[in-house]
Amino acid sequence: MAEAQSLVLGGADERDLTQLSEYRAIGGYAALEKARGMTREQVIEEISTATLRGRGGAGFPMGRKLSLVQPPEVAGKPTYVVANADESEPGAFKDREIMRRVPHRFIEGCLIAAHAIGSKHVFIYIRGEYGAEYEVLKAAADEVRDADLLGDVTLVLHRGAGAYICGEESALLESLEGDRGQPRPRPPFPPISGLYASPTLINNVQTLTTVPIIIDRGAAWYSKIGPEASPGTVVYSISGNVERPGNYELPLGTTLRELIYDVGGGIAGGRKLKAVIPGGSSVPVFTPDEIDTPADFDSIQAAGSFLGSAAIIAVDDRACMVQLALRVEKFYMHESCGKCTPCREGTRWMVSLLDKIETGRAEHSDLDLLRDVCNRVLGKSLCALGDFAVYPVASYIDKYREEFVAHIDQGGCPYGGESSIEGIVAPVDQHTHSPVAEVPA
Amino acid sequence: MSLRDEIRAAAAQYPDQRSGVMSGLGLAQEQYGWLPPEALAEVAEALDLTPAHVQAVASFYDMYHLAPVGEHLVEICTNVSCALVGAQQVVEAFERELGLRAGETSEDGKVTLRTIECAGGCGYAPVVVVDHRYREPTRPDDVPGIVGELNGG
Amino acid sequence: MAQMSAAEIVTVSIDGREAQVPKGTGLVETALAAGIEIPVFCYEPRLGPPIGACRMCLVEVEGMPKLQAGCTLTATDGMVVRTAQTSPAAADGQNSTLEFILVNHPLDCPVCDKGGECPLQDLTFRWGPPVTRNTFPKRTFEKPIPISPTIALDRERCILCYRCTRFSSDVAEDSQLVARDRGSQSIITTFEDEPYRAPFSGNVIELCPVGALTSTQYRFAARPWEIQDVPTVCGLCPVGCNIESTTREGKVKRIASRNHPEIDEGWLCDKGRFGFAHLLAGDRVVDPLRRSGPRRYEELSWDAALDEAEQMLRAAGQNIVTALSGSETTEQAYGLGKLLREGLGAHCAVMPEDVSPALDAFRLPLSAIREAELIVVLGDDPVVERAPIVDLWLRAARRAGAEVVTTPIGTSDRGVGAVRKGELATRLRESERAILIWSGPGGRGGAGVAGLAAELGFGEKPGCGAFQLLETANGRGVADAWAAAADGEEDDPEPIELLIVSGDEAAANPDVRALAERASKVLAISMFRSPLAGWADLVLPGTSYLERDGTYMNLEGRLQRLRRAVIPPCPDELAWIAKLAERFGVAVSPHAPQVFAEISERCYGGLDYTGIGEQASLPERSSEVDVPKPPAPAKRESKNGGLRLITYRPLFSGPAVQRVPELQFQRPDPEIELSAEDASRLALEPGAQVSVRSNGTSVELRARVNKLLAAGVARVAAEHAQGLGTHVEVGA
Ligand SMILES: Cc1cc2nc3c(=O)[nH]c(=O)nc-3n(C[C@H](O)[C@H](O)[C@H](O)COP(=O)(O)O)c2cc1C
Ligand code: SF4
Ligand code: FES
Repeated sequence: MAEAQSLVLGGADERDLTQLSEYRAIGGYAALEKARGMTREQVIEEISTATLRGRGGAGFPMGRKLSLVQPPEVAGKPTYVVANADESEPGAFKDREIMRRVPHRFIEGCLIAAHAIGSKHVFIYIRGEYGAEYEVLKAAADEVRDADLLGDVTLVLHRGAGAYICGEESALLESLEGDRGQPRPRPPFPPISGLYASPTLINNVQTLTTVPIIIDRGAAWYSKIGPEASPGTVVYSISGNVERPGNYELPLGTTLRELIYDVGGGIAGGRKLKAVIPGGSSVPVFTPDEIDTPADFDSIQAAGSFLGSAAIIAVDDRACMVQLALRVEKFYMHESCGKCTPCREGTRWMVSLLDKIETGRAEHSDLDLLRDVCNRVLGKSLCALGDFAVYPVASYIDKYREEFVAHIDQGGCPYGGESSIEGIVAPVDQHTHSPVAEVPA
Repeated sequence: MSLRDEIRAAAAQYPDQRSGVMSGLGLAQEQYGWLPPEALAEVAEALDLTPAHVQAVASFYDMYHLAPVGEHLVEICTNVSCALVGAQQVVEAFERELGLRAGETSEDGKVTLRTIECAGGCGYAPVVVVDHRYREPTRPDDVPGIVGELNGG
Repeated sequence: MAQMSAAEIVTVSIDGREAQVPKGTGLVETALAAGIEIPVFCYEPRLGPPIGACRMCLVEVEGMPKLQAGCTLTATDGMVVRTAQTSPAAADGQNSTLEFILVNHPLDCPVCDKGGECPLQDLTFRWGPPVTRNTFPKRTFEKPIPISPTIALDRERCILCYRCTRFSSDVAEDSQLVARDRGSQSIITTFEDEPYRAPFSGNVIELCPVGALTSTQYRFAARPWEIQDVPTVCGLCPVGCNIESTTREGKVKRIASRNHPEIDEGWLCDKGRFGFAHLLAGDRVVDPLRRSGPRRYEELSWDAALDEAEQMLRAAGQNIVTALSGSETTEQAYGLGKLLREGLGAHCAVMPEDVSPALDAFRLPLSAIREAELIVVLGDDPVVERAPIVDLWLRAARRAGAEVVTTPIGTSDRGVGAVRKGELATRLRESERAILIWSGPGGRGGAGVAGLAAELGFGEKPGCGAFQLLETANGRGVADAWAAAADGEEDDPEPIELLIVSGDEAAANPDVRALAERASKVLAISMFRSPLAGWADLVLPGTSYLERDGTYMNLEGRLQRLRRAVIPPCPDELAWIAKLAERFGVAVSPHAPQVFAEISERCYGGLDYTGIGEQASLPERSSEVDVPKPPAPAKRESKNGGLRLITYRPLFSGPAVQRVPELQFQRPDPEIELSAEDASRLALEPGAQVSVRSNGTSVELRARVNKLLAAGVARVAAEHAQGLGTHVEVGA
């Protein structure tokens, strides 16, 4: 049975940790003081020893990233800390909870990170839709400023305005600089040349919020939680067709089965599990016989998918996989930034093909073509969004091929209007000014 | 403070005032309700940017309205997690109650109904966002009440 | 040039071939060094760092799991790269990119202006999918979409490579052509329906790798196999950009750049690109004209015209004044000079501007501006209006980290003196990469800058130099030629029996008009009828730089060759000058190369005409620094209240521009620039309408604050300052 362990969200059930006084009452900002008493190298060493892996999706060790950032005296320019609070991956809602409930721990983590790289500037890029969370953070930041905890660091909250791509770090930086949020080619990576072409540390909200815990309790203690190669806890966002959806903080390596059946209370209405998306909508799907996989970075990857943002979506047997693929692909088409060719054109083409299959106008060759278009996009785009747009669709085809074939053979959706997501409407684009007339190819 | 001064003050937080374009657009949208070309030009003027650049930026993001929207904005998430637990029924309930299709604004300019991508409330699905305030979860049964509030308020 | 130690040489293996290049060389260039082409669309080093957008250049790199965008990589030692030629994965990558591009790109090549010279067409032919697998509708748009009167956009052809928008934001820095919306909805556009109105807009036409952005002048005008490209130089400003004139059936159809990396780096201003249409102006003079009434002219035969000209010259003898335009070829000016000076002893000329040979001791290519660390711009005229490309070099320098200091506009008479003292002078003296630029007013000031450069020790520092932004395209060549034509002291003839007005610029010059009042007769050489408006007694037709052979010397002091792109509708100047000279026993060849040989003997050290080549090189600096005396500061009338008015000649003005309808939208707004101090003293909001008054004239203009203006000074484009004096009152 999975054991809940509250570190990142620790204390929030008992107290209102949005208040500085309450947070201080449980020892808040002691880690900051401790860190400021340490040298930069010591802080970096501690985080490296803890093997804190980035919670934003890629699982890159934060300690390594910290040590790549050129300190200001070497770079000859200021350095920056940027907190990635743009959480937009479908299925993920953990950063929102963290910011709403433990804003001070998050800010404390940002300030420790700033100390570790000798930075005087922290930017928090928070997705625009998170209005309530912005207000909480802003109040917390004001308290911190009034309490003189910032020292000589400035803290700026920057609100996004609705663009999934701005979660990608280089797109986020472009957006923060006042441009369209389109990714940059990397290298150079942000630690070498990031915001305003200066060395920049970018980390996810949860990664940064974990930092005070490590400084406070010590790397040795922290690294004993969970699997050796990805230690610590993570806030799993569980959603979809489970009885008790929500955010749950547990040690990494909890199995998907435990997460869905124990923590999440099983499939709602006692229905049958059909598919599990283990890391947000962008990752390859698992079938029910793959759910004994421990949900940590390496185990999930070994099983052919990604932990991503630890957003677990359970899909019951009423959902049509073609409809699901179409809905997911419409999202990636809508969010593709338009900079690189394969992602921009590939997502649109994939949507057209999926629509053709769903509406029963497709032939078998269209399915092969769709699968081939997936291959043609995969690994060729400027940033990982192109891959994210392919993983789900390719894996649905590979693992649920018979459903796709049935659409073609029966000339329509075999669910006959009974799929749980029948007719789902994707966003109507609000800002296309250019009338696009369609003519036959 | 004039809009121009507010935009400039917000931009002054950044090492480079170009970074102030998003906060500037936000402020202008608050004032105008949406972003007509004059508003874009005003942001540009305040920050020493070209209107074309400001429009290029504004058009990239879903939350900036480049066409007029209703006094109230009702947004329904229809992404995967919400879809799996009945978002479409919520959309249909709103369409019925408001007499609008998703993407439309009522003739009296009171309400705009639209669907949106994942709002980050997947665990409390289906998510409806009314005037930027999350209503989680919203079931089809809740819809008449929400519409009543909009009409009454 | 940044002082770097010799760059480390690295060895890169590409498709099994080895290339040795300096470390950091772009992979596309490295491959080229090994004789291998990596195809590209978005990559264009002149636009700044690569963006890796189109994914055409995908290659396999040993040790990297994914295909890489070759354009974003640089050479490191031991790198092993396989391109589509040897890597099936890379070939598949390229083929994928092309297939994706063609999902939306129409196959209307037969009716597309780019057809036959289109990179997409070529690459599709070589790498592309044999069949289209897309069966869905392609995007279509209203077409063509006007981007401006000179540029059209066939949006469905756009492959979203972002070259055009990067030019606009990162090179010209006008940020007017942008991408709007997101993802597959993205489009290239301007703000609302406003035209792309900026001095360098036309470059996006050449940058576009497909037929999306096209020239309205060239649309459907010709197919690539029917045309001829003539390499020549632009004659519309003193920069002398290298151009190619595309001609078809004896007409110029377009002007494109011919990239001289030291002069223009492949950019042109819109005057140079679109101005050629003046060749076909309706008021062109094609036959000699004689005045037959107060404002009436009659055509006459060439023989009659030459007889008449001969009579006029003989009657005037030495009492001739020749006003030159600075647009004559060096050879024309020499021929005319030789005829008048040797044949008649008529030495007196009004030169188009005052060029200082002392500047030759501080000569540098224009491209050195980008390498500089400290640049001081002196003078009252906007750089872009005088020598547009220099503005681009200055922007590039600023982006590369240079400090560009502009002395307050309106202080040109004290400018040199102000720099001479003070902290700036110390820094200039200490810098190894500093540049002085003189930007008007008028044609004076070069000597002052040369004097300053000498004082600062620039002569001994190869990275330091000085430029004078001249007013005319060949003012320097014309001055050299006139001087070389004969020996003899010039003195002012009294009375003036004959005024020779050579060229339309001279005809438009108010000083020349004033001389005409004093002259008994006027002989004009002119391309157009209207500037004459009744004051010339005999008019001989003139030609354009696109219709001539010969040489021009640009503001750097570089001699470049003009090549005749089209036959003029009349004999060119040199032809009839030769005939006329013969009547006075003066030998002038009608052939430019021969005339040049004679000039070269006298002043260009015997430089060979053909030796100038298609891409002219810059002569060595002259070693003797003949430090000129700085001109005395002009006395400034001090008047209470009011503002001192500076006027300048805008880039989009002059006889050629006036005759190109598509360029009229580029002419300057009716604006008055004011200093921040004066604007706030007068309590003027930006954009306020003001009335500007002097001498009983009043002009309505829009106020604009320019922080570079000195207090007490206002600036207006000459065409909006008609009737205003040098002191004005500004009021709401
Ligand atoms: C398309 C795309 C979207 C992303 N969205 C997010 C996001 O919303 N939040 C986040 O923290 N990281 C996101 N990432 C990952 C970031 O690029 C980056 O790896 C992360 O912020 C690094 O922080 P970490 O090391 O703490 O995980 C996204 C990446 C891609 C390619
Ligand atoms: S218009 Fe031409 S240059 Fe501009 S993005 Fe499209 S294809 Fe590229
Ligand atoms: S040429 Fe390399 S991505 Fe476009």
